[in-house]
Formats: sequence, structure tokens, C-alpha cells
Amino acid sequence: MMTRADWIVLILTVALLPSLYMRYWGDEGPATSVRISASGQPDITLPLTGNRRFTVHGPLGDSVIEIRDGRVRFVSSPCRGQQCVHSGWLARAGELAACLPNGIMVSVLGRDRRYDSINF
Amino acid sequence: MLPPVSRKIACMAALACSVFLGACGRDPQPIHQEQILVFGTLVDITLWDVDKTKAQQATAAVIHTLNELHHRWHAWEPGPLTEINARLARGETVRLAPDQIEVIRGAQELSRKSGDLFNPAIGGLIALWGFHADDRPSNVPPPAPGEIQKWVARRPTMDDLHFDGDKLRSANPALQLDFGAYVKSYGVDRAIDELRRHGVSNAIINAGGDLRAIGRKGDHPWRIGIRDPRGPGILASVEIQGDESVFTSGDYERFFMYQGKRYHHIIDPRSGYPPDGAMSATVIYPGGGVGGGASTALMVAGPKDWLAVVRGMHLQQAMLVAADRKVYLTPALAARIHFEVDPPPAVIIAQP
Repeated sequence: MMTRADWIVLILTVALLPSLYMRYWGDEGPATSVRISASGQPDITLPLTGNRRFTVHGPLGDSVIEIRDGRVRFVSSPCRGQQCVHSGWLARAGELAACLPNGIMVSVLGRDRRYDSINF
Repeated sequence: MLPPVSRKIACMAALACSVFLGACGRDPQPIHQEQILVFGTLVDITLWDVDKTKAQQATAAVIHTLNELHHRWHAWEPGPLTEINARLARGETVRLAPDQIEVIRGAQELSRKSGDLFNPAIGGLIALWGFHADDRPSNVPPPAPGEIQKWVARRPTMDDLHFDGDKLRSANPALQLDFGAYVKSYGVDRAIDELRRHGVSNAIINAGGDLRAIGRKGDHPWRIGIRDPRGPGILASVEIQGDESVFTSGDYERFFMYQGKRYHHIIDPRSGYPPDGAMSATVIYPGGGVGGGASTALMVAGPKDWLAVVRGMHLQQAMLVAADRKVYLTPALAARIHFEVDPPPAVIIAQP
């Protein structure tokens, strides 16, 4: 017969399994936050959630960055080439876009990176 | 009801599961990553399993090296290369330092192998297109066809350069050196040398999208995503084997739109215009060396001539994404590349 102690051990271990699994092997999702770096200023890290737009000051002027639906992009930048805006939405950990003339870069962070580096 | 022995085993097994699950929990990954604006681009340095002090020292050394190279090989900001160009154009003989001989000779050889499709002698043409500026405005029209023709007719190539020991002269006053992506490969290789000098053996140096990876990430190989030329996502991925470089040139890197047409920064030395046969070209090869020159030549060659470049430059692994989005692959790359788009693109595997 199972003793009461047996039952307690069994129930406890079974109850513990899912939480341990979540803690150690759980998926954090594709991307968790975004890091914004501007030359001469400390980096800012923001969660990649909610919808918002904000302005980052650079040597040329203001770059506008938007976070929406778990993605981030340059909306506008005072550079002439507009490569940062052409980069479009970034959603996966490891993706990045930069406005070199304005010294601003945006990179998507996440613990579970599918790629270690991106070739482009 | 379970018999007593099975009962005990069941309890022990469940307990063991919990304990071992906890034991094999992920350690915080010993990854050190830094992104810096240097070398005229965004350089992404990834180091695996290096202690913090060593990582900082190695990273600082890499930044220093790249800053120096940036100045040394800049094609339009006044510096050693603009000085060399000015003197060669005046017909003077220029005495070079050993590293300058190495780069120029290396580019000369690559240019020859590519059938002059990689031609770093056309700096004047690139400048005419307005790409000798960090950001070319979009509302300025492309150069007049007559102007372009004039440059093409003067045909500067790397064969116009003649060495006499450490002295260099040019037989063509139109020759202006602009090493473009080739300097990036050189810089990435020097950065890897610097990391190794600091005892780092597992790392990635990614300079504005072109990279070299050495070693592994613990038990796993480094995994590299190759960007989709028409979208923010990833077209394909590869796992790095040992020490390899992955270089891509694309029409999306630097370009301007004028009256609805895209003009990108890679110029076909034969026509004087940006080629439109391909959206991107990728080469993968062991160690360092040919990278930027090879991907540039493949972009210029397009789907019609790409195999000639693959043969001439002895490339084993190359990919070309043509303007119609068909993907051309060498068998060696087809064997290891993994497409990340759904549905996968139409692939043409061609034997060099």
C-alpha cells in the first residue's frame, strides 16, 4: 500500500515538474527587448511590447523609432541615405538596423537566438 | 494499486526527474557581445566563453585595429589612400609600406581571377555615381550617360598598376583605387588575428553584414542567418564549420531610388551602371581572404556569368539570388544551406 508519505512525495514531484520545465527549458519567445544605442549616450533597453513611438537625438537631429506588435523599426531619420528606414521592421533576436550618419543603432535582444550572427 | 516495489520505483523516478531537470538547467550563456560603430559600419563582435576582462581587452584591440584600417584605406576621406590615388593620377611613383603592398597585390590577383568584374580601379566611376559619401541623397539623378561612357572608355583596371619592389606606378591616369568590400574582408581578418592574439578561439566578427566565425558556441556550431534581399527576414542559414567567412553583397546595402528605379552601389566596370541581374550574392569559404572581392564580382556577373566567376576565383560555395528571386547554388553550398522561408525559393544547382 502507498503510505501517506509516498503520496506526498509523488504529488510534490509531479507538481514540481512543470514549473522546473518552464524555468529551465521554457521558451522565452522570439524576441524580448530592444536595445537602442546612440553615440555618446548610455544604451537604453526597452521591452518589445506595447505600441509606442519615440525620438532619439543624434548629431544630425532626431531619429524616430517605433515599437509595434513585437517589432521595431526606424520611422524616420535625418540622414540622406535612409538606409535605416529601408531596413524595415526587426522582429527576431539578433536583428539590427543602424543610422550611421546619425550614430544610432537599434538591436533586438532575446535569450534564445535562432542565429548567432546575421549576414547581409 | 501498484505493488510496494513498483510504487517506490515510481516515486524515486519522479523525484529523480525533478532533481535532474534542475541540475541540467541552463547556465547563463557565457556569451559576450558588443556592437560598435567603427570602420564606417556597424561591427558586431561575439565572443564565447571568455572572461569579462579578457573580452574587454580583446574587443578594445579589435576596435583599435579597425579604426586604423578605416583611416588607412578610406577611399574618399583624406588619408593614405587618397594620397596614393592623387600621386598615381599625376604619374608619380609611390613608395608603399608592406601592408599596402599586401592589400594592393592581393586585390590585383583577385581582380584578375574575377575577369576584372571585381575591379577596385574604378574609384572615379563610383565617385561619379555619388557613392563617395556616407549617405547619398535620393533626389539627385544618376550621372549623365555621356559622363559614364567617358569613364568606361578609359578602362582603368588593376593591370594598369606596376610594381617595382616597393614602388608603385600607374599606367592609366583614370585609375583610382577604391577597395570597397575587399577592405572589409581584410579588416575582418585582421580583427580575427587580433582576437587570436588575445587567446580567443570562439568568436564572430561581423562588419556591417560580412563576417568570419571561428570555433564554436560550446557544444553547438555557430549558426549564421543570411538576410533575405527583399525583406527584413532571413532567407537561409548555415552552420559554421571551424573557421569560415560568410560574405554577402546586395543591391539593398547602399542604394538610392530615382524616379522609381533602384541604383545600388556596386558598379559594373563594363557598362558603368549598377548591374540588375542579381539582388544578392553570398560566398562562404574556409579561413579569410577573398570575401568582399568575390561577392562583388558575383553581383556584377549576375546569373548569366556567375559560374565563370566561381571557376575563376576557385569558389566552392557560392549563392546568387537573381532578380527573379531564383536562387543559384554551387553543389557544395546546396548540401549545407538551410532555407528559412516558406515556401522555399526555386533553386538551381549548377556544377562549376
